[in-house]
Amino acid sequence: MASITRASVSMPSLSTSVNQSQRRISVMNSVSFPVSGRSMIPSLRLQRGLQVCCAAKQETVDKVVAIVKKQLALPADAAVTGESKFAALGADSLDTVEIVMGLEEEFDITVEEESAQSITTVQEAADMIEKLVEK
Amino acid sequence: HRRLPAVIPTPPVSASPFPNPKSQYCCLSRNFSAALTPLLPVQLPSRMETHLWYVVPDEVKSAPLLSKYMELLPQSERDHVLGFRGDQLQKSALLARTLVRTTIARYQVDGHLDPRSLRFKRNIHGKPEVEWETKDGFCPPPLQFNISHTSSLVACGVTMNSLIGIDVEEKRRRTKNNILAFAKRYFTAHEVEHLNAIPDSELQQQEFIKLWTLKEAYVKALGKGFSSSPFNTFTIRVNTAAQESFCLPLNQASSGIAVETLDSPQNLTNNWQFALLELMGSHYVAICLERQETGGAGKAFPIKLTARKTIPSVEDELVSGTNAVVTIGGSVTQF
Repeated sequence: MASITRASVSMPSLSTSVNQSQRRISVMNSVSFPVSGRSMIPSLRLQRGLQVCCAAKQETVDKVVAIVKKQLALPADAAVTGESKFAALGADSLDTVEIVMGLEEEFDITVEEESAQSITTVQEAADMIEKLVEK
Repeated sequence: HRRLPAVIPTPPVSASPFPNPKSQYCCLSRNFSAALTPLLPVQLPSRMETHLWYVVPDEVKSAPLLSKYMELLPQSERDHVLGFRGDQLQKSALLARTLVRTTIARYQVDGHLDPRSLRFKRNIHGKPEVEWETKDGFCPPPLQFNISHTSSLVACGVTMNSLIGIDVEEKRRRTKNNILAFAKRYFTAHEVEHLNAIPDSELQQQEFIKLWTLKEAYVKALGKGFSSSPFNTFTIRVNTAAQESFCLPLNQASSGIAVETLDSPQNLTNNWQFALLELMGSHYVAICLERQETGGAGKAFPIKLTARKTIPSVEDELVSGTNAVVTIGGSVTQF
């Protein structure tokens, strides 16, 4: 039941980045749909062009935004969304590592350095967190 | 777009408030909007030399000048600059691109002096490189460069042949996290011990920043991306002439800095040499170079460094050997 619950989360923003699609693929692989093709919940059948996937919950995104704003000393009303790139907000490599460390503490996860390097936006951080939290 | 005016070969702008009657523009000391002077050409560094160029963003205030810099960039780089949030970040991004283009242009490789004509690419790991034109009979020079910037300093290091990595940071940069907690998470045990042994928290903060910049410089010199050399897989070691020790702070100009990778702990990786500089009393600059030749008994020659502060196409100032550039680690001779 847990796997089907995950699959019911809202669709991710459409993105052409390779990393995003790779993550979508890897998450889909880990969701266990019945092999016979007859899903227990027909409305979740995957359709071409309409990729139902496990985008991070808004709550996760909000927490990431808060950590980023704190690290970069941005005003509380600064416009930071899922698509915001850390570098564009002024994060250098030390900031990025500190942000990752903040996320590790907030969510009680461990982020391998290889993964840490690949997150460049708030959304990517939130997606990665959700994947790690579920483990 | 405003057309870039033809470069008028006027002499370098001095602090004089009097307008130059020959110029179309009024030269008003440093806050001027006069035509850019031509880039002063510079000889390529010899195999043993490292050139360091830097810009202080706070000294570049002229909006027309910044517009002119923008015009040196291709559209893709302009878009990249404008993608940064806010004036200050856009300015340092612009100055970083300007510095690297104008610096490389000065070396007049194959007669080129136009910063706009340079093309850049990234290697398979993402490290930026010059993409030289492939013309008949033209052998691109093995010119290596690396850039680093903060909001308050933009720097570019150039060598011939040696892979180079450079990282700059404000001395007073503070981490949001506790230093030892951060170091335990991301540095090696030896480095944590080194930091832990420093009782004064201010000094400890500075040592942390020095270590950080040295580690960054090493990974950037390697050019294989940060994930190929996570920070906890290599240790930066400091040796003094007298003894090898972790416990001494990085303050002695005669100290050697070396890197030791954890997969070969008994062998210091001799391929790389380091310099740590204090710039203008406000910044640390770490430089990591691929070692080209060794002196007797495997000892490296000191790094021959020439440092110049610049406002591209406005003025250049040789600062090596002055107290603007103080060697605080590694073996360096300044020219």
